[in-house]
Amino acid sequence: MSDVLVQLSRIISEVVGPDFLLGVEITPDTTFSDDLGLESIEFVALADKLREHYDVDLVGFLADMDIDEIMAMSVGTLATHIESSRA
Amino acid sequence: MSRYLFVVPPLVGHINPTVSVGAELVRRGHTVAWAGHQGTSAPLLPRDAVVFPALPDAAAASIAAARTEWLGLRGIGVFKFFWESFLIPLGHAMLPGVASAVESFRPDVVVADQQALAGPVAASAAGVPWVTSASTPGELLDPLRDLPKVSSWVSDKLTSFAGFDARFSPALVLVFSSRLLVPGSFPEHYVFIGPALGDRPCETPFPWDWLDSRRRVLVSLGTLNGAAGGRFFSSVVEAVTSLDVQVVLVSPVPVSAPQHVLVVDRVPQLSLMPHLDAVVTHGGHNTVCEALAHGLPLVVAPIRDDQPLIASSVTDCGAGIRLRYQRVRAPEIRDALERVLKDPSYAAAAGRVRDSFAAAGGAPTAADHLEAVVA
Repeated sequence: MSDVLVQLSRIISEVVGPDFLLGVEITPDTTFSDDLGLESIEFVALADKLREHYDVDLVGFLADMDIDEIMAMSVGTLATHIESSRA
Repeated sequence: MSRYLFVVPPLVGHINPTVSVGAELVRRGHTVAWAGHQGTSAPLLPRDAVVFPALPDAAAASIAAARTEWLGLRGIGVFKFFWESFLIPLGHAMLPGVASAVESFRPDVVVADQQALAGPVAASAAGVPWVTSASTPGELLDPLRDLPKVSSWVSDKLTSFAGFDARFSPALVLVFSSRLLVPGSFPEHYVFIGPALGDRPCETPFPWDWLDSRRRVLVSLGTLNGAAGGRFFSSVVEAVTSLDVQVVLVSPVPVSAPQHVLVVDRVPQLSLMPHLDAVVTHGGHNTVCEALAHGLPLVVAPIRDDQPLIASSVTDCGAGIRLRYQRVRAPEIRDALERVLKDPSYAAAAGRVRDSFAAAGGAPTAADHLEAVVA
């Protein structure tokens, strides 16, 4: 896994609470909507952490997506976006 | 005197608010009727209410089956399913019945629930003015503000079904909440009337003798979500086992519980409210408003749909604590419940909402505005 992916997995685990991820391995294919079932309040917390760590605007990133893209958004998709916005 | 036709979806929380408004119109000498699923609507309405069948049982059953699938979904998949497999198919299924109700009842105004899209379509086709009944302020809170592509996807769905945005009447939008709970600026024809709780028939029995002098808490996930509530209910039971309170837990599935927890599948919720000290809920708008109308503080664990927004309204005004439905465990529930019971600020905030509801005017205010549509 890339450095960003490792760090992103840690951020997600902080947002959701580490004991809820027991048995859920976060991979690039893990989706936020269906696999992690991110609750709306957790999405807000995730957006805050991404802004803090990477200066990345999650809301702006999602604003460009249609409903199927949002449903399919995976940890890998977000990691790639973070990497490209740093480059 | 005028004729009003309420068009309602097969959802308890969306039918209930129309009962009070309908009764007020009748008291003023108007004629009212409903169009919807007869089996769902009739038990909630007055015995002599006229209900035009606008949703065949087979269609209602297939929508109920879809709902079972919907209970298993998470994230934005819930939202997609809501539009594609519930709201639009429901609109199609109700349209013939609503159109024939409009033709035979000849209403002066159609009062269409925001989730009964057939109402505005049938009314427009017949040249009858239609107004919106927003039983929850969910759509007004603009959940898609930050997702323009999803927002235009919804608009496309509405346009292909109705040809216009059937969620919001250009003449009158009745909102069953108050400006204290729903801040923000809205057009002048959006009228906030409060929850309108009066005149609901209720024949659900309750063992009133069971209540003693301890403080009492109601736990309910509403009429739709309770079936999937097993884990949450177990956590609640664990949370309250060591608390000196009485708990009424509404669950359609069996839950094993100690003696101070009464597990029942139905309650006369509104009659129970004056006997309670706090309510634990998923954030269904009806339950939240019924609790706040009685000045009761809340613990809200929103599951889906507009519930996260309703939960935010509650915490923003200070009347409750929000929990994460999927993740929450017993100690967190116990802590939240103890806080809303012990810290008077929550009940004080709930009391302010209660006062704002009373000031909003309820069914008489709704009736004033509905009369003005005809005048």
